[in-house]
Amino acid sequence: MRTLAVSLLSATVLASVVGISAAQAAGQVASLRRLTQEEYRHSVADIFGKEIEIRGAFEPTIRIAGLQSTSTGILSVTPVGFESFSGMADSIAIQVTSEKLRGKLPCKPKSDKAPDDACAAQILNQYGRLLFRRPLTAAETKRAVNLSRNLGKSDFYNGMRYGLASLIQAPDFIFRSEYAVPAGNKQYTLDPYSRATRLSYLMWNSAPDGELLRAAEAGELSTQAGLSKQVDRLMASNRLEVGMRAFFNDMLELDTFDTVSKDSILYPKWSSGIAASAREETLRTTVDLALHANGDMRDLMTTRKTFLNRNLAAAYQLPYAFKGDWMEYEFKPDAGRSGVLTQVSMLSMFSHPGRSSPTKRGVALMDIFLCEPTPAPPANVDFSVVNETDGALKTVRERLMAHAGNATCASCHTHSDPIGLSLEHFDTIGGQRTTENGQMIDVSASLQGKTFSGAIGLGKFLYDNPKYTSCIARKAYAYSRGENSEDVPASAFKNAYKSFTDSGFRMRALLKAMVEDKDYFNAPAPETGSAPTKLAAQ
Amino acid sequence: MKMDRRFLLRGSCQGALAVMGMPFLDCFLDSKGKALAATGRPLPTRFNTFFFGLGLTKQLWIPKTGGKDYEMTSQLKPLEAFRSKLNVFSGLRVPLDDNPNFQHWSGVAAAATGISPTKQSEFDSKTIDQQIADVISHGTRYKSVSASAAGDPKQSYSSLGQANALPAEASPLSLYTRLFGPGFQDPTKGDWKPDPQIMVQQSVLSAVSENRKDVMKNLGASDRARMEQYFTSVREAELQMAAQLQRPEIQAKVAIPDAPSEAICNNALPNLRAVVPSMARLGALALATDQTRVFNLSVSEPGSQIFMPGDSLGYHQSTHEEPIDPVLGYQPRVAQYNVDTMELFAMLLKELDGIPEGDGTILDHSLVFAFTDQSFAKIHAVDGLPIFVAGGASGRMKAGFHVAGDSSPVSRVGLTIQKAMGVSLDVWGKGSMEIRQPYTDLLA
Repeated sequence: MRTLAVSLLSATVLASVVGISAAQAAGQVASLRRLTQEEYRHSVADIFGKEIEIRGAFEPTIRIAGLQSTSTGILSVTPVGFESFSGMADSIAIQVTSEKLRGKLPCKPKSDKAPDDACAAQILNQYGRLLFRRPLTAAETKRAVNLSRNLGKSDFYNGMRYGLASLIQAPDFIFRSEYAVPAGNKQYTLDPYSRATRLSYLMWNSAPDGELLRAAEAGELSTQAGLSKQVDRLMASNRLEVGMRAFFNDMLELDTFDTVSKDSILYPKWSSGIAASAREETLRTTVDLALHANGDMRDLMTTRKTFLNRNLAAAYQLPYAFKGDWMEYEFKPDAGRSGVLTQVSMLSMFSHPGRSSPTKRGVALMDIFLCEPTPAPPANVDFSVVNETDGALKTVRERLMAHAGNATCASCHTHSDPIGLSLEHFDTIGGQRTTENGQMIDVSASLQGKTFSGAIGLGKFLYDNPKYTSCIARKAYAYSRGENSEDVPASAFKNAYKSFTDSGFRMRALLKAMVEDKDYFNAPAPETGSAPTKLAAQ
Repeated sequence: MKMDRRFLLRGSCQGALAVMGMPFLDCFLDSKGKALAATGRPLPTRFNTFFFGLGLTKQLWIPKTGGKDYEMTSQLKPLEAFRSKLNVFSGLRVPLDDNPNFQHWSGVAAAATGISPTKQSEFDSKTIDQQIADVISHGTRYKSVSASAAGDPKQSYSSLGQANALPAEASPLSLYTRLFGPGFQDPTKGDWKPDPQIMVQQSVLSAVSENRKDVMKNLGASDRARMEQYFTSVREAELQMAAQLQRPEIQAKVAIPDAPSEAICNNALPNLRAVVPSMARLGALALATDQTRVFNLSVSEPGSQIFMPGDSLGYHQSTHEEPIDPVLGYQPRVAQYNVDTMELFAMLLKELDGIPEGDGTILDHSLVFAFTDQSFAKIHAVDGLPIFVAGGASGRMKAGFHVAGDSSPVSRVGLTIQKAMGVSLDVWGKGSMEIRQPYTDLLA
């Protein structure tokens, strides 16, 4: 019965969305997300070619509930941001219409020295469809053709420059809108083009390609079989790696590196080269496990396998004895390293410039891997006691313990510090140590009823913790929908999580089950009063 | 073609210049140096903000007496050279009403908006620089320009409200490129002419705007506001283009330098000491050449992560962890960082005061609002926030005073500034910070 209902629903959706002249004319905008820098770059490269240079500043995003992608659904474009978008659009259009590259355009004008509306429309429609992730409306095409004709005057390609630039800086490209259409029974669902867009940015971190748009246009994304076929195609591509890099970069908060600085006197070894390499090391490790090895995502907490380049070999104090840029490396069993937890990235990002910080590490790792944010500290706290390094309190642990003795501090510190304290054998740049101010460092920890010791113990603790695997599923779900990870109910990704578990925590299983879940493309009912009054079928 | 009459006027001035070979500046000056010759309009008054994190040490910065003849304090010492152009405000209240004390944020927002914030890291309204820019920036290339000396575009305390912070330029080179890179028409040069590309680009922007009606359809309330912001930004870009068709009227005799080299911009104090003067100089030149009338410079985030290499604690950790010296009665290491940030502030004032213009300097024709997040960072206190206002606002602001604590809310400074900047308003701030009475004694 349920199956029947679902297929009936699909049929309704199919009937209601095929043949619309303009998706946005019919649907209610359910979400509006500003493209991230990487989404923009990949989209332009895929639409116009990898040879197109993109130079310009992108407005920053902010991290909300552990994800930057969440902020894309809240941020707008400020004048500073638009100035940059506008300049980039023009620069891209200049390159696309340059003598060198214009041969790639889908048609040639009758003459370079005169307008040719038919050819202009063909070019603008082809690129417009890819940029807007839906066909242009007749009015949109007309406006861009007119602009090209009027500004190009006696130079067809100059005109195309302005016509294309107008599309590349349009909100329809800069924001990705998801349009909800009625699915009967007071339910709403995303229209096919919005489905294509969401899938494509999740899987490839880029705009939907021609085939995906074709499938959208043909209504295939609104049937289970059609959807499944496209999902398989997207996931079979190497470009899935681009999409997963973007996701893990966000989930692991690797953008934090953009503002990490280290004390050059205390840690002269640190360099911006190490920072960039450390970020890449973690991405390589993660993507290798998730995609190339199709491995168990729990291994991310415990694996000794990693990737090194010359910078990192120096940072880990390993001999650099290999050719090429990057080499796979496996730490020795007694090296004390445990997955990404002990990579230079995680250890250095969540530390102070001149010293490690169990609190910062604890707060970050609790949030990143267990989806357990730590509340902000109370307003009036006396921190002096934790800084008496010359006195009786020699290690950070002793200092923290002293201050967690205070009841107001304790509630949060007992929540976040244990993880950080277990990593105290690593300094602020990820180097190993066993003593602090002459005192042996105690790396034992007790958290949520479990006791463990050191990084290896922490790795095992997280490996065994279902909250960790559930957190990956939660973040992937929130990331792909641009939602606040803390507001997502566990029921929303329950089926996906089950498939993830059943598969032995394979990332591909999670992704596929998540996007093929019958509710994945559901959209909230439109705000009062603004619901479209007619079904999309015209 | 949108060349207006003023453009032609100036064009002919330029033509005369070419024929007569006179120094071009003279054709813009009136005899008294207070106004611009071409239009007879007064020199524009500019507005700057300077943001520094973590406040100062009460015992060391507040002068013992109010008024003009106060005894210089150790933490204000770096500002001594600008004393006659500086107003120091102590004892300002920051009532937060029913909102929480968002650490390292409530004070920032109160100073910059006169409103106790309801969210961490978001302003509940436009910040003061944007409120002022709305009034004074007509006809300039950039409505405002912000720079972060620590190299983080998010370290901008200039905002259109809520999540719409205006990103900061994060290196001297990027600041230079925005101001004086491609698209800059140098008004200090005799061969100034409008770039014909501008009018073409205006048409492109019009085409983008024409789609507004369709795009605004079927949006929920919050997305509609975001899309409105997008189109407001398009509109601003159009105005920016229009401004660039007119030669800026300038008086300052400056030359635009070559682009600076790449610099390391981070929280290390030695780097900040190199970057702050460089950014301040570029900002001052931008004001002098009327590329913008509003320049914002930050040297840190609230909860400043500034550190002196070799000090493993750094500024922010020190404020919380350094014990109060029982003899001195304050945190000595924190006190040193306090002075360090005042030195950075002095670097901005020096650059603004170093460019002569008409009968004074850029600083004389500006206001600089310097603000911070905490009064006593150790316990995240906000009452008694240190606030400074430098510059003469082209004679509309009296300076040289220590305005000692009279329990006014911090918003009173913001109201006074806006009065001096010519903003027409009677009331500023909200809740307990709503204020109608500016410091009239300071207004000339």
